[in-house]
Amino acid sequence: MSEPVGGWRRQRALLDYALGSLRRRGRRNGAMVVALMVVVGVYASVLFLSESLRHEWEQTLEATPDLVVQRMVAGRPTTIEAGALEAVVPTDAPGVRRAWARTWGYLFVEAIGANLTVIGAGPGERAFARSLVGEPLPAEEGEVPFCLVGDALAERLAVRPGDRLAIPDARQETRVLEVAGVFDAASALHVADVMVVREATARELLALPAGQATDLAVELARPEEAPVVAAGIRERMPDARVIDRRALVRTYELTFDGRSGLLGALLVPCLAALFLLAWDRLTGLGDAERREIGVLKAIGWETRDVIAARLWESALVAIAGAWLGVLLAYGYVFGLGAPGLAGALFGWSALHPELALTPVIDATQAWTLVGLVVLPFVGVAVVPAWRAATLDPDEAMR
Amino acid sequence: MSEAADEAAGAEEAAAGEMAAEEPVVVAEEVVKRYFDGGRRVLAIDGVSLEVAAGELVVLMGPSGSGKTTLLGLLGGLITPTKGDVKVAGRSVVHMRDHHRTAWRRRHVGVVFQELMLVPGMSLLENVLLPLAPLGGAGKDEVARAEALLARFGLGDERDARVRRLSGGERQRGALARALVLEPNVLLLDEPTAHVDAENAEAMLELIAEETARGRAVIASTHDPRLAEDARVSRVVRVEAGKLA
Ligand SMILES: Nc1ncnc2c1ncn2[C@@H]1O[C@H](COP(=O)(O)OP(=O)(O)OP(=O)(O)O)[C@@H](O)[C@H]1O
Ligand SMILES: [Mg+2]
Repeated sequence: MSEPVGGWRRQRALLDYALGSLRRRGRRNGAMVVALMVVVGVYASVLFLSESLRHEWEQTLEATPDLVVQRMVAGRPTTIEAGALEAVVPTDAPGVRRAWARTWGYLFVEAIGANLTVIGAGPGERAFARSLVGEPLPAEEGEVPFCLVGDALAERLAVRPGDRLAIPDARQETRVLEVAGVFDAASALHVADVMVVREATARELLALPAGQATDLAVELARPEEAPVVAAGIRERMPDARVIDRRALVRTYELTFDGRSGLLGALLVPCLAALFLLAWDRLTGLGDAERREIGVLKAIGWETRDVIAARLWESALVAIAGAWLGVLLAYGYVFGLGAPGLAGALFGWSALHPELALTPVIDATQAWTLVGLVVLPFVGVAVVPAWRAATLDPDEAMR
Repeated sequence: MSEAADEAAGAEEAAAGEMAAEEPVVVAEEVVKRYFDGGRRVLAIDGVSLEVAAGELVVLMGPSGSGKTTLLGLLGGLITPTKGDVKVAGRSVVHMRDHHRTAWRRRHVGVVFQELMLVPGMSLLENVLLPLAPLGGAGKDEVARAEALLARFGLGDERDARVRRLSGGERQRGALARALVLEPNVLLLDEPTAHVDAENAEAMLELIAEETARGRAVIASTHDPRLAEDARVSRVVRVEAGKLA
């Protein structure tokens, strides 16, 4: 028999023992796993939800121009003369890289009970169309107009590329469109219900009179100059409302960081309670456990073997509990759309009742989260494990 | 701890194995053990010297509280003496680093405790294989050897039984199997016949005698005079108030 055994084979044997020990103390360890699962599940749900919403927002903001100019009538945005573009945002205005009139709007489709966002891919929107679809709309118009739809919408409408789609326009007249492509709606919140069509088609669907645009979009050479450019626009067009993208970013940061920060703070006592529980469980060595450790020491287990076995045991509990919690949260947030939590915390689920959030968590991040739970948990277990392991072997003899 | 240190211990051990042929396997020299039990001082062992050779069956006889368990613990390196020295297989187990002593014990000493100390929630076979974990666990050969041991001890059918289900005699023999699974040179038995009837005591004694005949140094404590009078016993040593009488 070869005495010098270190490394993996020894650890495997100790892991085997730890597994057996978990089984023998099943109820107690099970309770611990469940407690961990619940706390990690709640924490991960909030984290996943806010991360996912942050992602949605970032996607939206990416597609948002630096400045958007709306014409206000009676305090509400209304259509704007497309021809006014040059007068309002002269192409040679300092700081302006590019400006264009946008044709887009909402179209309520009763059959699916949803508000479609119809976007006219005009000359200025081609980049946007490409960013959504990867490619612009087909150049040649067939006998019926083309449209591109997001995958979620395609599923709801039950259409695939090549299919024809009949939808009522704003005047309730049926229009037939051919689905030229389905794009991956990376951002569920803002483009899931998007339909991209040629500008002329958008006008027809939305009943937007010729020469009218929804708003004006401005791309700046340097985003810091937004206030100066906006002031110039307001001077040239007194009834304009100019929306600064950076203001949206700030709002979003306040909303999300503020809310998830608050939640994080609320979870601290929960976690503290859990670790106290863990501490109590791991420190309070039962009589039977004490005896068992005495036996192990007496029959030739070294201190490090006992410590390793106990650490394996708590690591297994922590890994099981944390993974279950993460999986639970994943299913709850990305599978079910975080019912309850989303509405309560962020107030938008009422607007998007069937919203399916895009998972923004990958395996590495999930493991990181699990690691963040497992490491302190095992860390907490080190001291009692060491205390137990240094019991004198002759204690087993009493 | 490094594997190199383990290996060094292994090499020394091989050297000691050769020595063991000439020297007694267990040597105690002027051993004293004093306990401090909350303000109370107990002189449990008071200057004991003893040598036991391979193939010898030595019985420690003495009344309750005389120090038999303590002496066995000292002889097996489980208890550190207050004074004196204990050599097992040619090496002092008193002046060894803790983990080396444990490795040494694992290799050379098998113990059947007074309270047996089987893990009740485990099966008998799992209990017998428990000493193998620090060596990397039981492979096929080790499992086969443990099973053979259980079969020889009349426990072949009980190998998967939970210990808490077994009878006193079965547990006693199971504990003996665990003590023997690593083929120790020294076998220590604390009251091996205390919890069993005459028939089981005789079976136990027969197994102990067999192991002695295989060349192990066997030391058993008892306060049962029948054991002391048995012909298979090589030597009876009387323990009284921590001294050899
Ligand atoms: N860990 C300890 N702390 C304090 N006192 C102890 C300890 N272990 C043993 N003793 C004392 O040492 C003395 C010898 O005890 P030991 O258990 O060796 O006797 P024994 O001969 O095995 O007795 P028994 O036949 O009852 O098993 C007793 O007085 C006992 O109370
Ligand atoms: Mg005793």
